[in-house]
Amino acid sequence: MKIRYFTFKLLGLLLVMAIFGMSFSPITGKIIQDFKLKNVDGKYISLKNYPQAKGFIIVFTCNHCPFAKLYPPRMNALNSKYSKLGVPLIAISSTDTITYDEDTYPNMVRKAKQEKFNFPYLFDGQQQVAKNFTAQKTPHAFVIWKEDGKWVVKYNGAIDDNGGEPEKVENPYVAQAVDALLAGKTIGQKETKSIGCQIYFRK
Amino acid sequence: MKNHPSFQLLLLNCFAAFSCNSAHTQSYNTLWIPDTLAGPNFNLTIKDTFAQLTPGNQTITAGINSKFWGPTLIFNKGEVVKMNIKNKLNEATTIHWHGFHLPAVMDGGPHQVIPAGTVWQPYWKVTNNAATYWYHPHLHEMTEEHITKGIGGLIIVRDAEESALPLPRKYGVDDIPLVLTDRDFSTQKQFQVVPYGDSMMTNGTLRAQYSVPAQVVRFRVLNAAIERSFNIGFSDNRNFFIITSDGGLLNAPVSVNRYLLHAGERIEILVSFNGQSGQSFDLKAFNSTLANAIPGGENFPGGPFANFLGKKDFTMLHINVKAQTTGAITTIPTTLKTNVPLSAANANVTRILTMSDSTGVTNPTILGPNAFLINHKLFDINYNQYNVPVGNTEIWEIRSTSGFGHPFHIHDVEFNILSINGAAPPAAQAGWKDVVFVPSRQTVRFIAKFDDYADALHPFMYHCHISLHEDEGMMGQFVVTGTATSTLQAIKKANDIKLYPNPANDRLFINFSDPNMQAYYVRISNALGKTMYMLPRPQLQEGIDISNFASGVYTLELTDEKTKTTTTKKFIKQ
Repeated sequence: MKIRYFTFKLLGLLLVMAIFGMSFSPITGKIIQDFKLKNVDGKYISLKNYPQAKGFIIVFTCNHCPFAKLYPPRMNALNSKYSKLGVPLIAISSTDTITYDEDTYPNMVRKAKQEKFNFPYLFDGQQQVAKNFTAQKTPHAFVIWKEDGKWVVKYNGAIDDNGGEPEKVENPYVAQAVDALLAGKTIGQKETKSIGCQIYFRK
Repeated sequence: MKNHPSFQLLLLNCFAAFSCNSAHTQSYNTLWIPDTLAGPNFNLTIKDTFAQLTPGNQTITAGINSKFWGPTLIFNKGEVVKMNIKNKLNEATTIHWHGFHLPAVMDGGPHQVIPAGTVWQPYWKVTNNAATYWYHPHLHEMTEEHITKGIGGLIIVRDAEESALPLPRKYGVDDIPLVLTDRDFSTQKQFQVVPYGDSMMTNGTLRAQYSVPAQVVRFRVLNAAIERSFNIGFSDNRNFFIITSDGGLLNAPVSVNRYLLHAGERIEILVSFNGQSGQSFDLKAFNSTLANAIPGGENFPGGPFANFLGKKDFTMLHINVKAQTTGAITTIPTTLKTNVPLSAANANVTRILTMSDSTGVTNPTILGPNAFLINHKLFDINYNQYNVPVGNTEIWEIRSTSGFGHPFHIHDVEFNILSINGAAPPAAQAGWKDVVFVPSRQTVRFIAKFDDYADALHPFMYHCHISLHEDEGMMGQFVVTGTATSTLQAIKKANDIKLYPNPANDRLFINFSDPNMQAYYVRISNALGKTMYMLPRPQLQEGIDISNFASGVYTLELTDEKTKTTTTKKFIKQ
């Protein structure tokens, strides 16, 4: 559905109202099915391997994307802080490896070692998990929380509001969401737009 | 992508709240001057990246060897330029050489799709006159998005005639490129794919300023906007001198104090800052006077076409005049060149095209109800509208019934405008052009000669250069027909080729059993089916460089120049 110039010229505000009223389905609230993906240590990981976890920070990322390259130190810090509180971080690469050699599994293993990832880095070669989450960009973060034995998306979007200048971050969205969930409070901002390289899905 | 619901909501919130533009009250930024690259070999890598365009979060962009936009390529008329284009985006795109006369298979239109991760190597002999041209993406339905990301670059052609004139040509000093665009930033500082932006960007710089010497300065001005036209002038209403139209020097400089430049068009202007050291001026767009049917002359109160710059005057470049340089040019030449325009008397045919609105049209072949049309059709990549016999001189008459004006661009040729609504074109448009603005409900006639490059397989495009309109289908195509070579040789079967050595290490050679065979196209793909190389009419004497390939089995498809039949062979890279 592309916005056409003339539509607006003729229908003006009517159409604008129609778009405002269009069903906007937020990803937060969605129930996520468990998955099983290969980690860079060769072992397979599922959410059920973490029986003590209250929730997870799931970050879709990849090796090649210039914007994703800015975040590993911040992801290490998030995992150090929140895994102790029952909210570990799991990174998943779902980028099409036919397009990018740099994102193949052996290169993921290399990158995790080089940059001393303290979190699992899973290979979603079939892109199924990314589709399930509706992940769009790298990096794209989700905070999921256990409710009645199910994993519910509570936050969806960017990790924070400044990729290139970590010292200038004003809103560490993921940390704010996890803090709120741990304190039993409402999350201030539960949807932002993820920013980075588009994840293209093979047909 | 465009139709993601969260994106649209954000976009509309942004318009409704008028919160997108955080820009006006801040200080100036120094105008970015793109690097230059000289030929004849050009390595261009298109990539996803990000740039610090505003304070706060970085903006996801795409650039060519750069964080936004690309290098300015310097061509010399008569040389063969060879391009090595690597698409390192994670999606397909194309690169079109806007304004260049070249074979259709090298043209980079919607048919020359460069898949992600692929190398494309077009080459051609530069026959264009000295002027300013550009290169930009042309993937159908994706052009607006890819241009918005920042993919593109300028091309400066030099020739003997221009070099002999006393004109400023110290790039970045007294010969300054100005790429005019506008962009819309979301609250998260990201580009929105919209026809009109809220913020003027000149060479990728917001609130740009630049120091120029107190002498005659040449600006090479490109309108690279998605839709907006710019009514160019200076804050002190001074006159400036237009020396080129799109495709070459004018006969003489044309003195004006305003010039309306439409999407895709270029002019080079001379401005005298003699004796004005220490003073400051603004280069402005005087768009408040534009009619509603001119792009940028509309002033929507709300909705996605509302924007801060609509029907307003705004600054495009703040200019600070400093000391004169040594060897300064201080006078404006009185004459430039003797152009010999094509004569209407020599035309073989007059083609009549229509530009129209599809509103209210109920023709079932029209796919959408609200696009703009050429010849009452939406673009169909499999439909060829015109066969142009090679050597033809043609008059194209563009009749608009559209309620809006459209800049019409044709590939392959530079043309001379014969008339705009019955009148001769203004002096500044009386030279060689490749874009002409067709005003709402008026008729434009131009004449062009289709000298060579017959190729029945690959078409050239003509379209509205407002990329939103083009993406939506305001585009058509033609092929230049005829025999490329004078004699038709007896043609053997195209499958008589042999690849050697096989296995190969660094270079792969092709042996033709028939010496008359020529490669029209070579495509190499790996075992996964990913295209590695797209090589239009490759020069195969030195083989194909495969040194950077991983070991494995590859497939080479070769299309023969004359029969256009394709042969497939496998080879092993060791």
